[in-house]
Amino acid sequence: MLARIAQELFWLGRDMTRAEQTARMLDGAFHADVTGNSSDGGGGVTLSWAGVLAVIGAKPPVPGEEEREEEDAAERIPPAYLGRSEIAPLLTLDTESPASVVSCIARARERGRTLRDVISTEMWEALNSFYLSLGHYDLQAALLTGPYSVYQEVKERCALFWGLVERTMLRDEGRSFLEAGGRIEEADMVLRMLRVAIPAGDSEEERHEAEALALLQAVGGFQAYRRSVREVPDLRRVGRFMLYEGAYPGSVASSLEDLRAALETADAAPRSSPPVLRLGRMIADMELQRRTPEAIGSLSELLVRIQDELELVDHDIDERYFAIAALAAVHL
Amino acid sequence: MTMPTELLPIDGYTVPAGSVDELLEADGTPRPHVQALLETLQRLGPEALLEAGERRDTIFMQQGITFEVYTSDGARRDRPFPLDLVPRVLTAAEWTVIKRGLAQRIRALNHFVDDVYHAHEIVRAGIVPWSLIVSRPCFARPVHGVRAPGGVYTHVCGCDLVRGGDGLWRVLEDNVRTPSGISYVLENRLAMTRLMPELFAGHRVRPVDHYPSLLLEALRAVAPGVESEPTVVLWTPGPLNGAYFEHAFLAREMGIELVEATDLVVRDATVYMRTTAGLQRVHTIYRRLDDDFIDPLEFRPDSLLGVPGLIRAYRAGTVAIANAIGTGVADDKAIYHYVPEMIRFYLSEEPILENVPTYLLSDDKLRKMVLERLDELVVKPTSESGGKGVFIGPHSSAAELEEEKHLILADPERFIAQELVHLSTVPTETGDGRLSPRHVDLRPFAVFGDEIRIVPGGLTRVALKEGSMIVNSSQGGGSKDTWVLDDGEPGDFTPGTLPLRPPPRLPDIRYGGWHGQAQQQQQSAPPAADRLAGGEFPAPD
Repeated sequence: MLARIAQELFWLGRDMTRAEQTARMLDGAFHADVTGNSSDGGGGVTLSWAGVLAVIGAKPPVPGEEEREEEDAAERIPPAYLGRSEIAPLLTLDTESPASVVSCIARARERGRTLRDVISTEMWEALNSFYLSLGHYDLQAALLTGPYSVYQEVKERCALFWGLVERTMLRDEGRSFLEAGGRIEEADMVLRMLRVAIPAGDSEEERHEAEALALLQAVGGFQAYRRSVREVPDLRRVGRFMLYEGAYPGSVASSLEDLRAALETADAAPRSSPPVLRLGRMIADMELQRRTPEAIGSLSELLVRIQDELELVDHDIDERYFAIAALAAVHL
Repeated sequence: MTMPTELLPIDGYTVPAGSVDELLEADGTPRPHVQALLETLQRLGPEALLEAGERRDTIFMQQGITFEVYTSDGARRDRPFPLDLVPRVLTAAEWTVIKRGLAQRIRALNHFVDDVYHAHEIVRAGIVPWSLIVSRPCFARPVHGVRAPGGVYTHVCGCDLVRGGDGLWRVLEDNVRTPSGISYVLENRLAMTRLMPELFAGHRVRPVDHYPSLLLEALRAVAPGVESEPTVVLWTPGPLNGAYFEHAFLAREMGIELVEATDLVVRDATVYMRTTAGLQRVHTIYRRLDDDFIDPLEFRPDSLLGVPGLIRAYRAGTVAIANAIGTGVADDKAIYHYVPEMIRFYLSEEPILENVPTYLLSDDKLRKMVLERLDELVVKPTSESGGKGVFIGPHSSAAELEEEKHLILADPERFIAQELVHLSTVPTETGDGRLSPRHVDLRPFAVFGDEIRIVPGGLTRVALKEGSMIVNSSQGGGSKDTWVLDDGEPGDFTPGTLPLRPPPRLPDIRYGGWHGQAQQQQQSAPPAADRLAGGEFPAPD
């Protein structure tokens, strides 16, 4: 398979998952926002808007800050006064902001157009009509009145896309790269959410229990948690669940497993493939950590370590499969 | 059965003077072969056509069968491809003539390309002047003396045909570089079967969907010396190209890689593509960009779309390129004039399809005649395509005539003049659901591998503006599905000629599935009386 095409497929998978996860998280934040305001005030506010921005790593919509592009993600956490009316549109509709749902889908559709000969016709039509439907919406109005329906549509259309991948796309190398992109993005997004929810050196666990709940709702894993853990969700249990639970498809562990499986299928020589080997080490390391009782502080350190490793995996993938295409681009 | 006189679905349908209509006789009655079609159209009425038109636009938008237009405020917008819902119908007899005529013409053009870059026999016989050939912008010096693998140069051809007021088919233009439009032929047929299935009733229309297999077969057939399965790729300039839809369509239908210049690399006079598993050899390239851009070492050095060293590999015979390099010399408008002579010279046959009468302006006597009759003729620049710079005498003002006269006198060799052909018309839906005559042309597509194969029909382009004869889609043209009726001519494969095969008898397959399944269904559905008596279901109050 052409290296350029493989890379496009990988990023198509990433864009689709990014759009879905962003929509889910915003939906969770809206939910938390509404319930927080209606009940006993501040205590109920769970997944804060500032937290959402920090997860995405997007800059707050403050004018005059354009020059400070390369800031650390932690510094980008906006002032607390930023709320729903600023952040939700920024992350949903803003075509200028690359992190918004609309931008993700527009990118995915452009990639789909380039890849029309590789992906199935039905997948392309799903992508194209997804993009067109976002254009038809009066999203601004929909966000103010019923954001639920907007995010529901995004979730459903993403599910349709992945369902069509499952049903209609040939299980070849290309499919593996698409899958790999989707899984690495999912692992990355969940790790980001966990890192925002479980800050380092924070001992006030109770304050974050409601946040843990919102987090679960945001990734759509609430029911899965209830059925799997059967204990009152607190931040630590939820963190462990989202990190280690191999039976839950959204957990970091199962994303990494799927990522490894996809790369093993795609690679002609998986036993000497750096990304596959690194993933193997990561998975083994996580299994070891799962069996070791730990304090909340060390969990947050672990999260940082896993995310750093994941970045290296991404780098390895780039080197091993796509670099040959990038080489040509440089020469021209 | 309704009487033919009641079969007029169109009030005030008047065929423009000088043209013939392909579906209706001069007095407005349907021609015999489309009786059933017009009956159906009449029964459906304008509302059905309008409604189907809306569905068509939605489906095309969703499938991305669109082209970009610039709106008045300068923004780019996608518009659905304008497919007219009334098909154009050709009889089997008409098609046989066209098919044979095109095959003959393409064979002659292929001989000509081979001759131009090798023996120059036609020049030595004094038929085509060498000075004219070498002065063509598409004449490719770098491939002089290079024989294409398999001896085929014009693998994919699309000649433009028109039908004049006398009802005869003529060739208006040859296109043996990178003709496009075949994807619309296939998509149009698919869309028509979905949108207007009623129209097909009572007609046996020859299928077109085998084109991708024909093309792939031909591209494989010309692959140079391969011991295993040859690798065929389709080379596109990229997603920004106007015909990208077609490139992706063909690559998908043929199941081959769609490559860009950055994906190809030449090592040791062999072409490779960059894959995730390293370099992989490429045997045949179906390229969809012009000679000028394909190799910056031999042609335009500023081309970013090209692959350096490609011509070296081509000369070494390690890769087949379709269409071959330098074929543009055969479809130049100044060479067009000589094609009937070529057919006589190379094939010793009389041309089946005629040219439109054409005058070379470098000849003094002809130029004088042309300048006198400029208001009746069509003048075209020799090395342009897509309807660019075409001057139509009868549609021009006095000032425009004067301007064209100066242009011709300044550089007579850049132009040719042709008699105006009154293009035939076909009923077309014009926005209100009613039918009016619109002018059409026809571009059939031929594939030349081991032999020449032509897909029945082709792309019918229609000028949607009343009276206009410019059918290019960049200038407000649409298209029509083109039917070739099957009335039992031997030699062409059609599904209708297959003998009916009764389905096999499978006595072990019973209605209701397997034994266990049936039992389970019985158990899980107790009789209604039990259900009400039992305590499982709360009885309604």
